[in-house]
Amino acid sequence: MENFSELAVQLKPGRSIAGKTFDVLSGFGLATILLLLLGLLTWFATLEQIDKGLYPTLNKYFHWKSVFLLPEIKGKIVPLPLLGGYWAGALLLLNLTLGGIIRIRKGWKHAGNLISHFGIIFMLVAGGVAHHFSERGNMAVGEGDSSNVAEDYFEYVVEVAEIKDGKPDAIHVIRGRDLVDLTDGASRLFKFPNLPFDLEIAGYQSHSVPVSIAERAPTLGERDAGGYYLMGKPGELNAEANTAGCYARVVHRDGKKAEPFILAGASFYPFTVLHDERTFTVDMRKRLWPMPFTLKLDEFTAAFHPGTMKPSKFVSKITRLENGSEAKVTIQMNEPMRYEGLTFFQASYGPPGAGPGQRMYSVFEVVKNPADKWPEYSLYIVSFGMLVTFLTKFGGYLASSSRKNRHV
Amino acid sequence: MRGDSCGTIAADVKRLTASLFACLAVISSCEERKEVVVTETRAASTRDIPPKLSATNDERFRDAKPSPVKGATPDGWLAVPATQLRLLNYRFGESGMGEVWVSISSGSVLDNVNRWFNQFGATPVDQAGLEKLRSVPIAGHSGTWVEAVGEYASGMGSVPKSGFALAGVVSLVDGRILTVKMVGPKDEVAAATSVLENFSKSLKIAD
Repeated sequence: MENFSELAVQLKPGRSIAGKTFDVLSGFGLATILLLLLGLLTWFATLEQIDKGLYPTLNKYFHWKSVFLLPEIKGKIVPLPLLGGYWAGALLLLNLTLGGIIRIRKGWKHAGNLISHFGIIFMLVAGGVAHHFSERGNMAVGEGDSSNVAEDYFEYVVEVAEIKDGKPDAIHVIRGRDLVDLTDGASRLFKFPNLPFDLEIAGYQSHSVPVSIAERAPTLGERDAGGYYLMGKPGELNAEANTAGCYARVVHRDGKKAEPFILAGASFYPFTVLHDERTFTVDMRKRLWPMPFTLKLDEFTAAFHPGTMKPSKFVSKITRLENGSEAKVTIQMNEPMRYEGLTFFQASYGPPGAGPGQRMYSVFEVVKNPADKWPEYSLYIVSFGMLVTFLTKFGGYLASSSRKNRHV
Repeated sequence: MRGDSCGTIAADVKRLTASLFACLAVISSCEERKEVVVTETRAASTRDIPPKLSATNDERFRDAKPSPVKGATPDGWLAVPATQLRLLNYRFGESGMGEVWVSISSGSVLDNVNRWFNQFGATPVDQAGLEKLRSVPIAGHSGTWVEAVGEYASGMGSVPKSGFALAGVVSLVDGRILTVKMVGPKDEVAAATSVLENFSKSLKIAD
């Protein structure tokens, strides 16, 4: 007679690879591992950003391009390869969707769990939307002055503008994503269909300063452009302070190339190109993004804790001007202005170390994040789901207690 | 059933391989962009003031306007572009974090000395305390020598830096407050204070 266990194996249908994969991807085990991993990533990133700076650390641990990483503490590499935070979060999203929504038992008794899981999924989606679509910049405005533009914290662009009546007109923008890979001899031709010339750019450095050859001779074979060269520097801990630089040259329509010149975020004035009777400027600066309204700083008040430089209160009273209408708004710490998808936070003031009697300006952090309020909404959803779970369980307990009492 | 499973696996592998090659093709085509057509534009904003045209490289990178204060760059210091507040501006030290700058400030000598002390969390001084601080020559006048060590917090928005030191001179020169300020890692500042004193002494007010 055949062995009973062998018979059972023959009769029981095997789980397919797809089925086993689904079980793993939707299981508690994977969720636990991913949550522990995210905690570990946060811990390592917190330690590493002390030495490396916040922005580079965030990119290393949580950017979508970072699939695997090796943590580093005090300059020493920790030999523990970890999955990047973005992908850990993406896997957790998949796990929660498969396990917490699709696989989970359905029915009114489990409605609370479903709702809570959906809330957490919503929060993870919010993080992904913020990662891919949010923009952050700052706007500095002096008292009595107005501004209708914010400046990106990190992205450097090259701008070409024709000057008409002494002012820039139709400013063409080469985005940072088209510049940052132009290192190690790489170059790229940027074509301007509406201008009488093109630009060839090479030698991009994320943090550099133009140095006069007369002051300090190049030591690494840096190219000379008009008596100056770009001296590369290690990235600042505060990445916003980095000043990018590159080399550029004008390429005329007949193919002739002019002498190279330096474009630098640290420069005071643009490079001028004269073509026939027309005047153009070429400049490198942090990307400007226009606002849909103008903001005028009416009054700025700064107060410090006595005897310290620690701020106790910063208050900016502004007027928001849009299409002829005005709105008075107060922006202060922990009380931002939210309007038309933009959020203005009271971030800072200047000039740095301003002393008594000096005219100050207010600095706002401007955030454009389509998912700005989604984490808040997800908390409401999760809380509601937990409340439903609690009421369901409590109701069930009361019902079963009542049945027991009737039978007694 | 086993044969069906093998066929399914083979089909999955084929699809995966084709997708992988497609991705590689896309990635490699992106890396080889030799030309880009620029189509993005933006309108002029409040930040777009009429530019200085045909600026020389000295003007573009050093904002070379006549400075009311002149000084020779000491050996080992790197002169960097002046800014709105820094008439003469230098970097020093191996770490790259050491800075020295010459400024003309507002307020009084006492105000500026105490502002520097506040940035390091040091106890401010009164007029009597100010007069006890060492005097050193600066630009043909006498100035107050200021030193501090600790966590440096220049103001809101900047990350406080621990293990830093300050050395500098604050002086009233021709009715204006002239300052020479050195900030950096404390070992580098300690090694450079004699150079700083000589530099301060060598400064000249332009005619």
